[in-house]
Amino acid sequence: MRLQLSEEDAAFQQQMREFFTTKVPADLRERWAAGGEPAADDIRLAQKTLNDAGLAVPHWPTEWGGQEWSQLQRHIYLQEMQAASVPPPLAFNANMVGPVIATFGSQEQKERFLPGTASLDIWWCQGFSEPNAGSDLASLRTSAVLEGDEWVVNGQKTWTTLGQHADWIFALVRTEPDAPKKQMGISFLLIDMKTPGITVRPIQLIDGGHEVNEVFFDNVRVPADQLVGERGQGWTIAKFLLGNERVGVAPVGSIKRKLADAKAYAAATKSGEGTLLDEPLVAARLAELESQVAALELTVLRVAGNSKEGKPDPASSILKLRGSQLQQDVLEFIVDIAGSASLEWASTSDSDGSDLATWTGHATPTYLNFRKASIYGGSNEVQRSIISSGILGLKG
Amino acid sequence: MDFTYDDEQKALQQAVRDLAGRNAPVEQQGDQPVGPAKHDPKVWSALAEMGLIALPFAEDLGGADASAVEVAIASAELGRARVATAYAEALVAAQAIALAGDDQQRKELLPPLLEGESLVVPALSEPGRAWSLDAYDVTASGAEGAVTLSGTKEPVPFADAAERFVVSARVGDKTGLFVVEASDAEVSGQRVKLSGTPAKALGALDDAPAALAAAVNLGILTVSAEALGAMDAALPMTVEYLKTRKQFGVPLAAFQTLTQRAADMYVSVELARSTVLFAAMRLAEDAGDSETASRLKAVTGQSGRHVGQEAIQLHGGIGMTAEYAVGHYTARLTAIEHTFGDTRHHLARLAAGLRDHEQVEVLAG
Repeated sequence: MRLQLSEEDAAFQQQMREFFTTKVPADLRERWAAGGEPAADDIRLAQKTLNDAGLAVPHWPTEWGGQEWSQLQRHIYLQEMQAASVPPPLAFNANMVGPVIATFGSQEQKERFLPGTASLDIWWCQGFSEPNAGSDLASLRTSAVLEGDEWVVNGQKTWTTLGQHADWIFALVRTEPDAPKKQMGISFLLIDMKTPGITVRPIQLIDGGHEVNEVFFDNVRVPADQLVGERGQGWTIAKFLLGNERVGVAPVGSIKRKLADAKAYAAATKSGEGTLLDEPLVAARLAELESQVAALELTVLRVAGNSKEGKPDPASSILKLRGSQLQQDVLEFIVDIAGSASLEWASTSDSDGSDLATWTGHATPTYLNFRKASIYGGSNEVQRSIISSGILGLKG
Repeated sequence: MDFTYDDEQKALQQAVRDLAGRNAPVEQQGDQPVGPAKHDPKVWSALAEMGLIALPFAEDLGGADASAVEVAIASAELGRARVATAYAEALVAAQAIALAGDDQQRKELLPPLLEGESLVVPALSEPGRAWSLDAYDVTASGAEGAVTLSGTKEPVPFADAAERFVVSARVGDKTGLFVVEASDAEVSGQRVKLSGTPAKALGALDDAPAALAAAVNLGILTVSAEALGAMDAALPMTVEYLKTRKQFGVPLAAFQTLTQRAADMYVSVELARSTVLFAAMRLAEDAGDSETASRLKAVTGQSGRHVGQEAIQLHGGIGMTAEYAVGHYTARLTAIEHTFGDTRHHLARLAAGLRDHEQVEVLAG
């Protein structure tokens, strides 16, 4: 049991803090902190800056740009990145398709895709969910039929996040329609978004933002060498990918950042003769959230420290569940602090001027937007099932 | 930062687990005792013999020179086995004496307390008042050397077994700490009536509030670790029940409405575990870190309530019975929630200090 960071880790923390607060442009970080729809160019510039310093994909194999960091150092890196409001490396690249290609891909695929995936010269999007395959992903129906040395893809993907910016899509497709189980017969295919036959249609969300899309495939011809791993191995790869997605998905640094913002907002919002921060109900809720966020961060740290022997600590399964809950709780708290000022939305306002603080205009859309956090990456109900069957051994 | 136990700590954990196992209450026959724990001299001697009361105190005071971390390890094992004792109370009294007392008081009062020969407990609560570290209705008067206390302290857990009390009392507009011999007070159950009762000031008046706060912080850690132990036992007991109990021809585990809730219990327990371990390390370094103690109490208070309530509900009727253990865990968790300040008290204390920091920092260089 030891409280302090080792000298080495403390120095590492300083180094990360300095990098994120001095090398990533302040105006970019301010835009990211303010919320609203993220600008693609900001995400590109941030990832390029990180990648040039070897900080975009630290968890990859070292020969493809990874770092030999401890779990704790990875946590410090993420924490400092989020505290400085630096847009994180695009998850589809850094956490999803990158590790998949590095683990299951051929040498040619690694050489062709990994450098651009790390630098974001290739912007990836995810083609997993379909209209009738959400939590029940294995029910997917998008088909790929081999004709000569090309796969011909037909079907539809949905919830494709930031697909409007994407250069490539990694998709789960059914290559063996007669397989005895629906999990079998699925393959993992890399597809250039410029291929004829692909149509991207935006889905507008309740926050007014355009973040997700539908992607339609109409006789899209994909070279056979763009299939990753073995034919029919797609489900195994998908499970590997989703497992990676869940590890370290408690965005503690950004939750803490937002909670600190909430405190500043409450202190800046007049109420009677004082401010909202003087009101007992507001202050008590803030104290409660601070305690709960600290408990989550300590759990992240404990889990990171315990996974030294290679196997993840089972408690890591609670991070997605609790992280998304607290993320939503804090954003709910912020929209409540904004109160009546939240009625005016920055994104839909057509007036030239407003006397309201900028953050209040983002409060409602951001709150609404992050209702997604308990749905994506395996909904919180799926997370609870993983805990109850995988850890507690509760199988019906 | 490292949350793992070293070999010595693991050995301590195992030793206390064995001791607690030998002294755990046995259910499933006859009338089972319910309600607040009674002092059991046999169990108390066993704790003292193992050196558990002495754990966090310096060697020259008769202590074992370990720390709050070891206290948390021991207390969690007692909680797991439902061995409810005056452990937390004795540690609060001892810490108050160690921090506030003068040399003579430490030499006189600590060794017999740490060795389990004479029990000293804090007398802090006042009837008709919410929990507070400040005293209001028990007052001290008289010059140095001839101090007397008047007023009533209640409830004072384990009052009927104590030889003396560490009493908080009003002195002008301040709160001081005093030592009172049980034989000089009128003790009945958990009530301690003082009427012109002779008392000795514990150290200097101005040092008392900080010493009391630090002492209670140790108490908070002790009961919170005990709560963790209780939750750690109540959860697997509930899980086992869901696997084996059949209704409608299938095990209860077939019902997602139950298993999803069991998963949430697991989340609560793990968050509490992280918080207890961290607070133990923090308080080992700075016994006066009341902010950490309040966060600990708030987190374990909410976890304990959640896990305790769900443990009964997921069991159904059997969880209500005195002859089955799980309800006893819930009862003890409920008592712990109201010991040394409840969640509301600690959130209010944290709320008062919100402006002192931008964010809560747990990673220290």
